[in-house]
Amino acid sequence: MNLNFRKTARVAATLTAATSLALVGLSGSAFAKAKPKPKPKPVPTATLKVEKPIKAANITEAGSSLLYPLWNLWTPAYQRSFHNINITPGAGGSGLGISEAASGTIQIGSSDAYLSPLQLQANPGLLNIPVAISSQMVVFNIPSVHTHINLNGQLLAKIYSGQITNWDDPAIAAVNKGNPLPNLTIVPLYRTDGSGDTFLFSTYLYDQKGWTIAPGTSISWPSNPALVGENGNGGMVSGCQAHPGCIAYVGASYLTSVLAGGLTYASLENGLGKYLPWNLAGVAAEAASFTKFVNNGAVSMIDAKAKNGYPIINYEYAIVKQKQSTAANASAVRSILEWAIDPMNGGKTSFLTQINFLPLPAAYVAGSYKLIRTIHS
Amino acid sequence: MSVPVSSTSSGDVSARRGLRPRRAASRHWEDRLWLASSRAAVTIPLVGLTFVVIVLFFKAWPAIQVNGPGYLSRSTWQIGNLYGGIQHIHGVEIPQGANYGAWPLIAGTLQSSVIALIVAVPLSLGTAFALTERLPRWIAQPLGFFVEILAAIPSVVIGLWGGLVLGPFLSAHVYPLVANHVPNVPVLNYFRGYVGQGEGLLTSGLILGFMIIPIIAATTRDLFNQVPSLPKEGAEALGFTEAEVARRITIPWVRSGIVGATILGFGRALGETMAVAMVSGSIQGHLANNIYGTMTTIAATIVTQLDSSFTDATGFALANLAELGLILAVISILVNFGARTIVSRTSKYRAPLGRA
Amino acid sequence: MSGVDTVRVSTAWRRGKAHGFRALTYLALLFVVGPAILLFVNVAAQAIPHWSWSVLTTVPLGNGGGLENAILGTLVIMFGVLLLGGTTGVLAGIFLSEFVSVNRKGKERGGVLRASIDVLAGFPSIVLGYVGYVALAVGLHWGFSLLSALIVLSLMVVPYITKATETALRQVPTTYREGAEALGMRMGYSLRKVTLKTALPGIVTGLLLAESITVGETAPLLYTAGISNGLPTWQLVHQPIGYLTYYVWTDWNQPFPSLHYLSYDASLILLVMILTLLVVSRLIVSRSQRHSESGR
Repeated sequence: MNLNFRKTARVAATLTAATSLALVGLSGSAFAKAKPKPKPKPVPTATLKVEKPIKAANITEAGSSLLYPLWNLWTPAYQRSFHNINITPGAGGSGLGISEAASGTIQIGSSDAYLSPLQLQANPGLLNIPVAISSQMVVFNIPSVHTHINLNGQLLAKIYSGQITNWDDPAIAAVNKGNPLPNLTIVPLYRTDGSGDTFLFSTYLYDQKGWTIAPGTSISWPSNPALVGENGNGGMVSGCQAHPGCIAYVGASYLTSVLAGGLTYASLENGLGKYLPWNLAGVAAEAASFTKFVNNGAVSMIDAKAKNGYPIINYEYAIVKQKQSTAANASAVRSILEWAIDPMNGGKTSFLTQINFLPLPAAYVAGSYKLIRTIHS
Repeated sequence: MSVPVSSTSSGDVSARRGLRPRRAASRHWEDRLWLASSRAAVTIPLVGLTFVVIVLFFKAWPAIQVNGPGYLSRSTWQIGNLYGGIQHIHGVEIPQGANYGAWPLIAGTLQSSVIALIVAVPLSLGTAFALTERLPRWIAQPLGFFVEILAAIPSVVIGLWGGLVLGPFLSAHVYPLVANHVPNVPVLNYFRGYVGQGEGLLTSGLILGFMIIPIIAATTRDLFNQVPSLPKEGAEALGFTEAEVARRITIPWVRSGIVGATILGFGRALGETMAVAMVSGSIQGHLANNIYGTMTTIAATIVTQLDSSFTDATGFALANLAELGLILAVISILVNFGARTIVSRTSKYRAPLGRA
Repeated sequence: MSGVDTVRVSTAWRRGKAHGFRALTYLALLFVVGPAILLFVNVAAQAIPHWSWSVLTTVPLGNGGGLENAILGTLVIMFGVLLLGGTTGVLAGIFLSEFVSVNRKGKERGGVLRASIDVLAGFPSIVLGYVGYVALAVGLHWGFSLLSALIVLSLMVVPYITKATETALRQVPTTYREGAEALGMRMGYSLRKVTLKTALPGIVTGLLLAESITVGETAPLLYTAGISNGLPTWQLVHQPIGYLTYYVWTDWNQPFPSLHYLSYDASLILLVMILTLLVVSRLIVSRSQRHSESGR
């Protein structure tokens, strides 16, 4: 019964869409190709027009737990402007976001990682659309130390593989001259759930000599008895609080809880050998070094050569099927994503800085916008 | 309407069966409907189970081909480089560097469930004794009900509490005490060393034990209540102490029932997912270093790694989880049949069900 | 004389042992009940200070809101399981108690059916959930949906309902059935009016226990029901549905305290729901027992 009803509704929706398009004077069949027509003037510096959805639609988003809070902030604001669209954001993990978007179960997946060539090969027509920039902090809990101590990828790799076990290790002291660290056992924390944070951190480690474990959302950590697993970023923060000597990688959206927990974040060595504490300016500097929208948005920003750039940052992606099941869904998805990256709407810093994300640089707004406009039914 | 609950009416099934009216299928539509629908319904568990096993097998087949029997003994869990190339093994596409082995998961599943039994059996027996033999009715009844409620607490809630409250407490105050005072001799030295942060084998075992206690305790209590009072009173008249009555009369009387309940509790512990996922530390590639060490179980791995496995476009990671599911299914079926054989060999007592 | 002394010594020793035994049983009880009380207190202490009744009447919105969708979703799932699993389980129990034929040796047939029910009862729920995801959500293109969840959960609880129904029916005295037959009642009529009616309290208890399992499940739901922040609809496929355990599992490590409160609120509501189910089933049992005692 429901199925029949849905089918009827779908046919009706398609008909309505076709008719309305015909009325506007476009050819109904070439709906997808019609995209540049309503916008004659090119996009100068990241201004774009948010499409008004043609019809009511229920849109489900699921995936990355880093993006989940942002979707929670976006949803009510978007729905205030477009009453006929209902969005349900969900967590579940990046892998789920990708596979569900690919199978068409949900309309918008979200992921902390861009699609791999393998995934694209398996699911041609799947888009990864950059929507925001997130970053990662390396936090520690040494009771007597509240400065941003210096760490680099080499040290982190050695700490996680168990070659460096104490904060007073000479290798750490060598990059922290004038700031002696106490004799305290290091407790490295890792995420037990599959997470984009692990993907980012393991990508950073994979860049280092001697670390052979391929990056992934959950990796096979070296056999190091000091390692402690934590569930979620919240678990990382509370775990680090509970264990003096800890070191942990935490998504920047948890800055407030990191500070409230009395933890400190480290300065990391960037691609040019400069040590910089995590801050949004450093993240922005790193992001700004990517001036060209390349590879359909599939870009790793880890360890870039940016002068004042902070090394562990990435794009957050919306994973969308280029061909949506109905015209209504396609229109709604375009509208939502355009709204999300629009610097006047979802891309406003007032949304993003609540969870320490940054808006896309202008080149990426334009690039993402182009990708979004190719979504059709 | 009165419902007799005395056992006189439900004695030996086969003897009673002859007395029951023969339910010859009459021609009336209602009779036929009852017969047909109930016959259809009773096959559903069998059909469902077969379907589940077949689906698992087909999903697991690529992994079984690639992994070979070494899957059961290897200690590694590498999803491979998802941004790298593809390898072909036995005609199956797998990501470069993918290499799986289930030994730590199988071992972890068995270890944590055995710990759960070691904890749960004595506590359940003690609780059942206190409830049936010692305490006055007005307090024993609510307490017994409370124990039954425990069986129904959602495992996420137990996991939440175990991960946030119990684990940290034990690792801060109890584990160090044990670890520092246990003599350094074989077997016991497994209890020495780094106590970790509250997530690991022992915490998982304790949480699992806590979860299966209600199953064993509630069944044991009901069994104890069925032990006739005459032999017990006789023994007491002969000067037996309570402990002696328990050891020589009560427990032997219902032993097979207790064994059955215990094995089904074991089965439940083997398959428990969420709570273990929240307190085990979820580490796939290697065994726990000591009893406090981080580990994981098959069931917890399926739930925590399902998401990551979707990122493997070749589908090999998903096939590995199916193979894990198949192994767990086989283990739990074996345990179940073990319980049935033990129970049916030693008595006519019907094995209780695993939950609630 | 010396013999008497030995007896005295051993009496003291045995008395000591008896005391020790008693103390141990109380200790065991304490170790079982104590942590459970701590758990309840902990959940209540975390949930109640931030409790607001709007949790029951609003849906999650942004990083806050309420749990109305999850409460209603859980109720919808419970209802569906009652319909699907309840019917199947009760009918299967009727078959095993009333219609199972007897082989030549006088033993009941259906050993394979019984074995499959026992195996299913002990079957790991996450494996069922995995198969539900692979076969129903993906294989049949149902997506995250109420129907996938209902089928998986029903399969999970059918064994419990079947066992409870069978046990309850077997406790109905054979004389009732004989009396009904002697009065010339049709089989279906006597089953409905006499046997089932008598066994009803036992059957209802089994159903309530199955419901309490349903309420608390997470693992098989995560990948079959999905999640929805909207209120549940009665659409069976292509529409995910929310449920309470999801919010316990997901929200407790989000970066906003409002979500931690939500996670504990969900825990508290779950505990209250389960407590209600069990208290009701206990009342039914004790009421039917009292009736049977007075009737005797």
